[in-house]
Order: sequence, then structure tokens, then C-alpha cells
Amino acid sequence: MKTHAGEEADMVIRIESQSKLLLLRPLCYFVRHLLEQLAPTVGAEDICNNLELAFTEAYTNIHKYAYGSGTTGTVIIHIHIRPEELEFTFEDHGLGYEPCCVPPPNLDKPAEGGLGLWLMGEFMDECAYTRTPEGRNILRLIKRLPADADSS
Amino acid sequence: MLVQDKDGVAVIKMDERLDMVAAPALKEAISELVKANKTNVIIDLEQTKFIDSSGCGALVASLRALIKNKGDMKIAGPSHQARSLFELTRLHRVFEIYDDVETARLTFRK
Repeated sequence: MKTHAGEEADMVIRIESQSKLLLLRPLCYFVRHLLEQLAPTVGAEDICNNLELAFTEAYTNIHKYAYGSGTTGTVIIHIHIRPEELEFTFEDHGLGYEPCCVPPPNLDKPAEGGLGLWLMGEFMDECAYTRTPEGRNILRLIKRLPADADSS
Repeated sequence: MLVQDKDGVAVIKMDERLDMVAAPALKEAISELVKANKTNVIIDLEQTKFIDSSGCGALVASLRALIKNKGDMKIAGPSHQARSLFELTRLHRVFEIYDDVETARLTFRK
């Protein structure tokens, strides 16, 4: 995966922050601008929109559910950019959940909530949640990327 | 976010993002309009580049509150991203969506 400037973009970015609502937009802007620097296949508007939405939903869920809107805790985010895929990993120490117990939304009966997890699954190729014995929540979101047009 | 009156219709002009940051303010604005008995509302999304599930939830809650109080809500000028999300979540069947505020406003006269 190359950037618009022709650099290889194989890298890991680590962000450690508090799960404050104040940081939602700055983090999303960072991710958006990062994606737009990647090859045109990744920087295409639809792919950027979908990756930005998945990132937003994951961070929002940690703020809203793992820690609860009234409290904050640490969130560690890794963004892995590899030649063939992009991965977001979110780690927190808040409340865990059982993914299998979260029902998919009934789209014929619109509700005020319950779309976030489902949307992540719609927009990413892999969506894996783990609760470690130490009480950490780890959410991995992976998107396979189209090959660069000039990779040959 | 800006709330204006246009010939008896309340127009709520949303900012660049309708997310968990903006959603409470939208719900609060709707609550104030309901209290003032101004229940015909247009949500102007012409400046809104990005909407997420919190934004969708706030729009669903707003529509419900307005209908419950004998009003209605129309959406004007959603971005490509917003339209795609409405279609994926089937909210395009729930919301009345128009290309711009003026077209949406005229539908309240019918």
C-alpha cells in the first residue's frame, strides 16, 4: 500500500487516550485525513466514509457502553496499515459484552439505538471481539483493501 | 446548529457532523419546539458531511416526538454518505427526504 506521495504505508499507529466525547471528532478527523493520504483505492470516498463510520461507532460504543457516558477510562487504539488490509484495534478496560447476545437490529422497526455493532459488521470484513481474563476488551476491525493499481 | 422559522416551519440547520456530540442538541431543540407547539420541522443536512448511528437515532427520536405531537419532520439536502446510510438502514423508507430546504418546505403546504 502506497501513499499519494509514493511512500510505502506499511505501518502501525498507536493512540492512547481517555474515552472522552471531546476526543471523538479529533480522532475521527485524524483517521479520515490518514485514509485520504493512502492510495486512491483506499482513499476513495465510499471506502473512507465506511472506515470512518466503523471507527466512529467503535469509539462511541466504548465511551457510551464500556465506560458509560458519565465516566471515562483509557482507550488504546492501533491502526495497522498493511499492503493488503487495514486494521483498527480498540482496547479498553470497561464493561464487556457478549456479541452473540446483541441482537441484530430490526430494520423494519427503526429504533434510537442498536445500529453501531451491526454497522461495523456491514462495513468491515472482519469484526472480532475478545474479553481477556484480565478484563480487557479488545475489538479488531479489519478491512481488506483493493490492490494498488501500480503495485506491479 | 441553528433553528430558524420559515413561514411557520422550523428549520434546524445541522453542522458538519451529526454524531454522538451533536445528537443531544438536536433532541433538545426538538423538545423545545414541541413545547412551543412548533411541530412541523425540516432538518437541514446540507452542511452535514457525516452522520453515524447516534445521528440516525436522534433523527428517529425526533420524528417520533413530532408525530406524537401532531407534527411532521422532513430531511433536506443529505450528503451522499447520509443517503447511503439511510438506505442501508432502511431509514429512507421512514424519513421524507428532499434535495433542499425549499422543496421540503413546500410539502408542508399541501
